[in-house]
Amino acid sequence: MTGFLHVGGADLACVAPELVLAAFATLILLLDAFARPIRASFPYVTLFGLALANLAGSNVPGLFFGGAVESSGMTRFIELVACGAVALAVLGGAASLERDRRNQGEFYALLLFAAAGTIVMVRGVDLLVVFLGLELMSLSLYVLAAWYRDVPAATEAALKYFLMGALASAFLLYGIATLYGRLGTTRLTVLQGLSANSSFVPFDLLLSVGLLAIVAALSFKIALVPFHGWAPDVYQGMTTPAVTFLSTAPKAAALIVLLRLLHALFPAGLTEPWRPLLAILAALSILFGNIVALSQRDLKRMLAYSGIAQMGYAAIAVATFTRDAFEGVLVFLAGYLVTNAAAFLTVAALSGGETEPRTLADFAGLGRRRPVAAGVLTLSMLSLAGIPPTVGFIGKFLVFRAAVDSGLVALALIGVLGSLVSVGYYLRVVYVVWMKEPVHEVSLVPEDLLSGAAFLLTAALMLAWGLFPRALLELARGAAMTLSGR
Amino acid sequence: MNLTHLQPLGADLLTTLVFLPALGALLLAFLPGSSKVAAKAVALATSVLTFGVSVLLYRGFDPATSLPEAFAIDRPWIPQFGIRYQLGMDGLSLALVLLTTLLTVSVLLVSCGQEIEKLKGYLIAFLLLETGMLGSLVALDALLFYVFWEVMLVPMYFIIGVWGGKRRIYAAMKFFLFTLVGSLLMFVAILYTANVHLHATGIQSFSLADWTRAASAGAWHLPAGTEALLFGAFALAFLVKVPLWPLHTWLPDAHVEAPTGGSIILAGVLLKLGTYGLLRFAYPLFPHAAARYGPLLAVLALIGIVYGAWVAAAQKDMKKLVAYSSVSHLALVVLGIVAGTGAALSGAIFQMIGHGLTTGLLFLLVGVLYARRHTREMADYGGIAARVPVTTTLFVVATLGSIGLPGLNGFIGEFLILGGVFQVSVAWAAIAATGLILGAIYLLTLVQKVFWGPDTVPANRTLTDINGWELAGAFPLVVLIVFLGVFPRPLLTLVDGSVKTLQRVGARVGPNELRPAVRPGLTRLGLHEIETPRAEASR
Repeated sequence: MTGFLHVGGADLACVAPELVLAAFATLILLLDAFARPIRASFPYVTLFGLALANLAGSNVPGLFFGGAVESSGMTRFIELVACGAVALAVLGGAASLERDRRNQGEFYALLLFAAAGTIVMVRGVDLLVVFLGLELMSLSLYVLAAWYRDVPAATEAALKYFLMGALASAFLLYGIATLYGRLGTTRLTVLQGLSANSSFVPFDLLLSVGLLAIVAALSFKIALVPFHGWAPDVYQGMTTPAVTFLSTAPKAAALIVLLRLLHALFPAGLTEPWRPLLAILAALSILFGNIVALSQRDLKRMLAYSGIAQMGYAAIAVATFTRDAFEGVLVFLAGYLVTNAAAFLTVAALSGGETEPRTLADFAGLGRRRPVAAGVLTLSMLSLAGIPPTVGFIGKFLVFRAAVDSGLVALALIGVLGSLVSVGYYLRVVYVVWMKEPVHEVSLVPEDLLSGAAFLLTAALMLAWGLFPRALLELARGAAMTLSGR
Repeated sequence: MNLTHLQPLGADLLTTLVFLPALGALLLAFLPGSSKVAAKAVALATSVLTFGVSVLLYRGFDPATSLPEAFAIDRPWIPQFGIRYQLGMDGLSLALVLLTTLLTVSVLLVSCGQEIEKLKGYLIAFLLLETGMLGSLVALDALLFYVFWEVMLVPMYFIIGVWGGKRRIYAAMKFFLFTLVGSLLMFVAILYTANVHLHATGIQSFSLADWTRAASAGAWHLPAGTEALLFGAFALAFLVKVPLWPLHTWLPDAHVEAPTGGSIILAGVLLKLGTYGLLRFAYPLFPHAAARYGPLLAVLALIGIVYGAWVAAAQKDMKKLVAYSSVSHLALVVLGIVAGTGAALSGAIFQMIGHGLTTGLLFLLVGVLYARRHTREMADYGGIAARVPVTTTLFVVATLGSIGLPGLNGFIGEFLILGGVFQVSVAWAAIAATGLILGAIYLLTLVQKVFWGPDTVPANRTLTDINGWELAGAFPLVVLIVFLGVFPRPLLTLVDGSVKTLQRVGARVGPNELRPAVRPGLTRLGLHEIETPRAEASR
């Protein structure tokens, strides 16, 4: 190995989106410090940066930086997901942050850094690069979790998140180190070559311990039961626009990393202990998330538990582990992004800063007072429940279909059972919004242009992808080729 | 299905049919302000246009068409998974499509004549519901069907939940969950069937035509247990909708709480989609399981017929009474489907349409009374015939049609079903007939209690008769009730092709213990052509 890594233009072009995101994040930090009067323009600067990052994305597939990072359909997918999540958070959150009088540049800068970290996570072909990305993302999110630093509950949640997150990081590193100790490499490509050879023994104690540690660490980021403990508190304590990002893109990235690692180790399909293990994680998350969500009266907490259940559905695809399942889970994740973002955006757009409407009762009569926001929230609930013709249905259809096709009918039935339970709380939101008169009128903030655009965008995507899923499927198929095509 | 002669009107007449109401709903959503007149105009125009499209389809329809051989529209929808946008119709679908578009016009006319809060949302919900119903009736790809099937749920949930009575939330949720349990299991069954089809034929398809062809050729090689489970999942989804005893408990709640329009559509169309699904999916796809478990369904249906009638007789609330009568009548339709003879199937389909008209009208008229007095208790009325002569007349026609008085539509359907069932089992027919007798008792008691007797309730002094809008909604239904009672032939001819196809399916598996003799009564009615013995049909 040479002492110095040779970095060429192609290498930099590969990571151009991350560079752009980091540059804009730094720019905003500087502007925040030295050009305070133009704070109002931060949302637009951020959106511009996101657009630029997306344009900078390279379409040339291949390995760069000496094989440590890659550019592929999958990285293209995560770029869209990460940038999309930040864009939605900014569109929906700008006005509420301003009302909050906390319209600091940090918010935008941290989101941009988190997005860059998310992309690096998936771009990394070397597990150490994956770890770097994960840490960049996590550190940004820890700060965002402590946004309301003078609210004790929020601080507590942030600290909890940070401590548990640090533990998860330690587990991840430990797992990576163990894999390295056993196999002598941290490169996924090399791992794949090893495991394709017969010299590789899948039932290896050391390897199993290492992999178990990594699975646990990633499950923490995805918030799968039993690694979900942080989610409800953090969702509740965090500023809502940031939750829009936290609840979508990082989970997607962690899930993709999990898929890639498992695929590198088991290219021919999951072997015995792992498939049932993931199936159990999926089943537990679906059942636990949905049942606990039933008893929640705080919308953000309810969405946290619903998110746990939704990731359980995604984990079904990991347990299924076929090409169709990979495609399905990517469609599911993209659909989950817009659907979940729509739900949080409604909460954000209605919040007057710290006087956010929090309990479900605060949403009573929304249908009469804010028909557009109520409509988007309703659509989002239906999509989360998997009712056609929304994208939520398409995602679940693809995931369940893949599971049934590979003989996991029982898992699909558990998923269906979970969906049935979930209708109980998703429809309660619909009921409160449209059919319940408020006991006391919560004051609502005026509607603003940016969040209006976000509403329109998410609603359009939920319906368009639900009615015409072809384009989204093409994208997912291209991304899944990265896994199964090689 | 040959629609070439309709080309000048646009090849996608079926697409127009399905999505015209949704388009109207969209238009309504963007209609500015609170102008009730404009909203009513848009909604009515949309529903009348949709009805017009369905009439066009009827005029261009060739009764020889039988599913699932041909499609009017067949395009890829999600090509990656072999899911197609396939629409088409045979006589069965067309008959139900006509019923749906007609009843929707009726509902909207009636709602124009009554004071309804949040009118715009109400109209939007009904138009979206119409799209869901029509889509379910003409979709020939299993997944597309499922999408439309679920799409129906949400508007109905809103109709009951927003515009319903006191316990509307409970009723709406119960309706939603009951239906969803069945349909989610059906969803998994659809996925499983597609997988079976893929493995058996190597082709990824959700198309009903492909499935039926493979199923009837025995290409799936399904183990009996698996077929039973799949049939069970499909049948459960549809029987909840019918609803067959003991899955019926959501229906009385939904009916009592739903606003008038909701009840009309629920009883008139949604319940029929259950029996439609049995005929379109469960029976053709899993004929062996259907034959094996037919007797079980028959027993449930018989219990339903008698139980529904018995409970209806004990009701004090008019809507509840009509709701339980639906449980009884629809169980008779299921019995006809299970019997599977030509007469029974023709009768079952005829009765689906007939029940939609009579029960739709009954709910409409109960709604007329409710809109004026805000009560549905029979005890709150009495002797109002002189005050509301037109309502009374219409109500009596609807009741007699429902009882099965010769000369009105109910008679034809019930007679055909009983005649067909009689060929299979005398005992079944005998038990089913008692349900009809009970039906006469409770329905006539209803009329007697509400419209005749002493006029003692003071609040009824100010009762006004049916108004112009409501009458406009009720009139076509009355005309059809009488027309189909006197001239059943057009409808029977329309569905003849579907009946023959269904019989062919049954004949391939069914034990042929059925007597081929033509019932004398049928000959006298001139209905003998439709009485095709199975042996002949299977050739």
